[in-house]
Amino acid sequence: MIAVWMLTWKELLRKKVTLMTLLLTVLFWIAFYFIAKSAGATAAQSESGIISLNDLVERFRGSAILLWIGFFFGAFATGFLSIFSSVAAVAGEAEHGVLQSVLARPIPRTHWYLGRWLGFVTFCLAYALLLFVSILIIVIYATGVHPDWSGLVPAFMLFISPVLIMVTLTMLASCWLAPLGNGVAMVMLFGMGWLGTMLDKVIAARMFTTDDASTTSDTLEIVSGLIRLIIPTDALQQRMLSELFRVDELGETFSSRDSLGYFSVVNPPSDAFLYYTAVYFLIFLAAGLFAIRRKDF
Amino acid sequence: MSYAIETFGITKNYGNGRGCHDVTLRIPAGEAFGFLGPNGAGKSTIVKMLVGLTTPTDGKALLFGHPAGSVEARRRIGYLPELFRYPGWLSGEEAMHFHAKLCGMKGADAKRRIDRLLDEVGIGKRGSDRIKGYSKGMQQRLGLACALLTDPDIVFLDEPASALDPVGRHEVRELLQRLRKEGKTIFLNSHLLEDVEFLCDHVALLNNGRIMADGRVSDVLRASSSWRFRVGGMTPELLDWLRETMIVPVDLVPWEGEEALAWGEHWLEAELEGDEQVGYMNRLLIEHGVTLYETQKVKSSLDEWFLQAVSGLEHRGENR
Repeated sequence: MIAVWMLTWKELLRKKVTLMTLLLTVLFWIAFYFIAKSAGATAAQSESGIISLNDLVERFRGSAILLWIGFFFGAFATGFLSIFSSVAAVAGEAEHGVLQSVLARPIPRTHWYLGRWLGFVTFCLAYALLLFVSILIIVIYATGVHPDWSGLVPAFMLFISPVLIMVTLTMLASCWLAPLGNGVAMVMLFGMGWLGTMLDKVIAARMFTTDDASTTSDTLEIVSGLIRLIIPTDALQQRMLSELFRVDELGETFSSRDSLGYFSVVNPPSDAFLYYTAVYFLIFLAAGLFAIRRKDF
Repeated sequence: MSYAIETFGITKNYGNGRGCHDVTLRIPAGEAFGFLGPNGAGKSTIVKMLVGLTTPTDGKALLFGHPAGSVEARRRIGYLPELFRYPGWLSGEEAMHFHAKLCGMKGADAKRRIDRLLDEVGIGKRGSDRIKGYSKGMQQRLGLACALLTDPDIVFLDEPASALDPVGRHEVRELLQRLRKEGKTIFLNSHLLEDVEFLCDHVALLNNGRIMADGRVSDVLRASSSWRFRVGGMTPELLDWLRETMIVPVDLVPWEGEEALAWGEHWLEAELEGDEQVGYMNRLLIEHGVTLYETQKVKSSLDEWFLQAVSGLEHRGENR
């Protein structure tokens, strides 16, 4: 299993996907730094020697918006890296004739599958850690606002959970789908998670003001809830942001919805949803192990 | 007798008429077995079931008494798939080291074995190059080296020489011959019947997923009883008389050699059973004033056997 794990790292490091991802990440860092710097300067201009409560709120607001933007890119980049690194794991490699000689070796297929899974997951986690730390450093440096340190570990765990989910789902689907079809299906599924969050924002903004507004909101809430159950990745991202901002502890001083607008954290999922996600992940990982044992090559 | 490979009514039904049906084989340890058949006959399906890549729908297969596909069975095999590729971003050596690790081989022993095998298959120092720069033949050689990595008891080879040039084919033949002498069991799927004829003790012919014929290679080649006689001074009357006397088909056959026959020379072909009949025919020809230059047995080849066995049969590989 460890040999397969190490080979997966070697593969990802040698393929151009890593180089391209890093190049685009550097571009993001540069752009994000200038955005953050500009937002930090705006906050500094409002200072008049003594930091007033309003200044503090303004700084916090700027920091929260920057973190939202940074982690939106972070979720996007780690999600897509998770999908496209593992998209050809089974059917793609079998089509190319790579798997046949490997699976005839005296190792259980489940060990091969877990080795690949660990390789993809740890690689994407390393990238996620790099992004997480870099985004925080840029925001702290530019705005001077430190996030709640106690929330960092839970926030990081939530930030990386979509990696576990997307690699697991993509590898499972790769047992049947060719790389192109699998890539399209997984990107659409991942995108569906964003749709769920958007619906939550629409509901929270009370955009429907017709007579049937409550019925419409109910329908949207059901759809959004179902989407979260089908693909919990973006809901986890919302929970991650809420852990990082600790908006609930600010009480009446700061109304997230009014102050942050589109960048507010709406309806972060409960602890029960986190347990649901853990079970969801374990079921799909087990399904992948079952599928690889039964598959004909 | 211990059997390296045993299948009992092994069947794979893909639901589209393809696969194989009720295939029973018993291959003694140390034998070289040739598996023949037209394209789409189901040969690779059977190999895949034996190496554990595909699960049979029915029946069972054993390798040295272990269920095919079990880790114990896979520990004793080497496999060269028909359509395979090693990752282009690895070097040949790295690919071999990866496979060695999968087989539990480590350290200096693994390195020594890998270096030796790379030399034996003709890759040598190019083992440190990335595989994406290898020709098809080089990849085939690497596949063969990988199949032999663990010094396996059974070697499954699916078209091992298909991408090789004549020199490569000759080298592979020699290598397989050496393995056979070392007592390895070789299961050879090949369209190159000449290679099967050269190497194998036993052959089986598969068509539409069923075994149509099988036997020892020596028996198959001995089945032909045609003899040819290069003669001078043959007349039509004498030919008729020979046919009546021998009570077997005797014909003049066209000469296929490069040098033209001398004036009055002909080739006669007769279906004769045993050396006594051949001697008798020689005597008759000489007694009747015919000049007998040469007598030779018509050597049949597996190609003829193969073509004869599948002629008139419907091949799903071509029709579907």
